[in-house]
Amino acid sequence: MQFTLKRKSEEASSEGVKSHFEAAIIGAGPAGLTAAIYLGRSKIDAVIFEKMVPGGYIVSTDWIENYPGFPDGISGEELGELFEKQSSKFGVRTENVEVTGVNFKARPMIVETMDGSYTASAIIVATGTKSKKLGVPGEEELIGKGISLCATCDAPFFEGEDIVVVGAGNSGIQESLYLSKFARSIRIIEFLDHPTAERILLDRIKEIGKIELLLSHRVTRFIGDDRLTQVEVEKRDFNQKRVLDVKGAFIYVGLVPNTGFLKGSIDMDKEGFIKTNQELKSSKEGVFAAGDVRITPLRQVATAIGDGALAAFKVRQYLEGR
Amino acid sequence: MGFLKEEDKEYLRNEFKKNLKREVELLHFTDKNDNSDYLQSSKALLEELVELNDYLTLTVKDCSDKAELEAEGLLMCPSTKIKSSRKGFINFYGIPAGYEFSGFVEDIIDMGSDNLPLPDDVVLALSKIDEPIDIKVFITSACPYCVKAVRTAHLFSLANDNIKASMIDAYGFSDLAREHNVSSVPHIVVNDKVSFIGALPEKEFLSKIMESIE
Ligand SMILES: Cc1cc2nc3c(=O)[nH]c(=O)nc-3n(C[C@H](O)[C@H](O)[C@H](O)COP(=O)(O)OP(=O)(O)OC[C@H]3O[C@@H](n4cnc5c(N)ncnc54)[C@H](O)[C@@H]3O)c2cc1C
Repeated sequence: MQFTLKRKSEEASSEGVKSHFEAAIIGAGPAGLTAAIYLGRSKIDAVIFEKMVPGGYIVSTDWIENYPGFPDGISGEELGELFEKQSSKFGVRTENVEVTGVNFKARPMIVETMDGSYTASAIIVATGTKSKKLGVPGEEELIGKGISLCATCDAPFFEGEDIVVVGAGNSGIQESLYLSKFARSIRIIEFLDHPTAERILLDRIKEIGKIELLLSHRVTRFIGDDRLTQVEVEKRDFNQKRVLDVKGAFIYVGLVPNTGFLKGSIDMDKEGFIKTNQELKSSKEGVFAAGDVRITPLRQVATAIGDGALAAFKVRQYLEGR
Repeated sequence: MGFLKEEDKEYLRNEFKKNLKREVELLHFTDKNDNSDYLQSSKALLEELVELNDYLTLTVKDCSDKAELEAEGLLMCPSTKIKSSRKGFINFYGIPAGYEFSGFVEDIIDMGSDNLPLPDDVVLALSKIDEPIDIKVFITSACPYCVKAVRTAHLFSLANDNIKASMIDAYGFSDLAREHNVSSVPHIVVNDKVSFIGALPEKEFLSKIMESIE
């Protein structure tokens, strides 16, 4: 049995109310926590805002094998904990609160939270992403009633049941492997005619007999009154529909950036991912973006970490150059 | 072997020393005849924890002691209630393992101090509630988001002791979880009437409570 202990940063526990900082980081995932390590070590007076738990999106995955330094792999929970432990050492204050708005025009800039406003001279947005939903009938009503977006949280409820996983990218396949410890059978539904996950993961699902890949299929409807009972799928091109009897559905079809709170104050693409240049500067002076939340070809821990370091370095240069 | 690493103990010793102002009792109901790892571990962990500060005490009672359970307003066993002279009903059905452990520690500190880390307007709205509210927060220990929902419920109880708030390990109490149709966590049930999923911000959580009153 494991007992996870989250620590308060040293600064946070010793200091009282404070509302201006040289730098503010929004989001304590791998990108934000790395930025906190670099800013803290540069003795820049910084704060990091996190609405949920430090560690970011990885804490909801069971196993990570492609982040260097852990040759045997590591659980997302443990890795998130280690990131946080390391970052809390260097004195950046953590505020466990959701950022609800910003004013990037004001100088210093303003960060609005559920607990009041803060000001900062430079800001790193590292708010990551959340799961994209499918947008098909029945989905909204049945989320939490058989449809889940977090396998590690909810897997035990599907012990011995038949389930589907939607999406055959890395996340979908990785989480299917985890879910196979609980479910009786898993059908992975993928719209494309091929899975996009890494080969090593695909080889593993072959070894586990109970996982079947349904390629060129899409989910058209979730069915159930109080509880999910069926998923309607359609074969691409043939327009053939059929209904699968299932108790659970886990959705891994892509990501939506957590940028609603920015309310269009910096340039983004049409999905809401932040535009940056190579130095991670956004369209507003003094505002940088790091990790999954920005337009980038790869969204992984390794890339988020690199972004966090670079963004912090650029913030330091920016503050020194003013 | 202990459950807490030496460095964690050191951290907790400091936190307790800095924050605790009054005695806090961990009232633990367990099945004394059950030697399962689950129950033994939870008791051992609590024993380790109370050793870290003189203000902390542990009382262990047996599940068969129905009258005691009832007197404490508890429905099920195993459970751990955090008590002090501060008002509030902060309870855990099942073991506060995994991510819940951090919330458990914060709850101990709140019970032993005057902390109430909630927005002022939420505290004001909560203080006006004059009827009994029961909040059940179903969790799994691997759920990273659940602790936030449990904490919010417990803080609400500190803000107004008409509110009783319990964490419930959905795996350990699977019948009750099934009865409430739980299949995603955190799953919160207010007065067995209003239910919702997710670690909502305090204000939205509050509005669900208001919904249960209306
Ligand atoms: C199921 C799954 C499996 C994965 N497996 C792997 C893997 O094996 N290897 C790998 O390298 N990567 C993996 N990833 C991807 C990896 O998790 C991300 O690339 C990484 O977490 C991105 O880090 P980030 O810091 O950019 O953002 P996130 O990790 O998303 O962190 C952003 C943080 O910001 C917080 N936040 C958001 N909005 C606000 C707000 N308004 N106010 C305050 N805080 C806010 C969030 O709560 C979150 O903690 C996986 C992801 C998932 C979902």
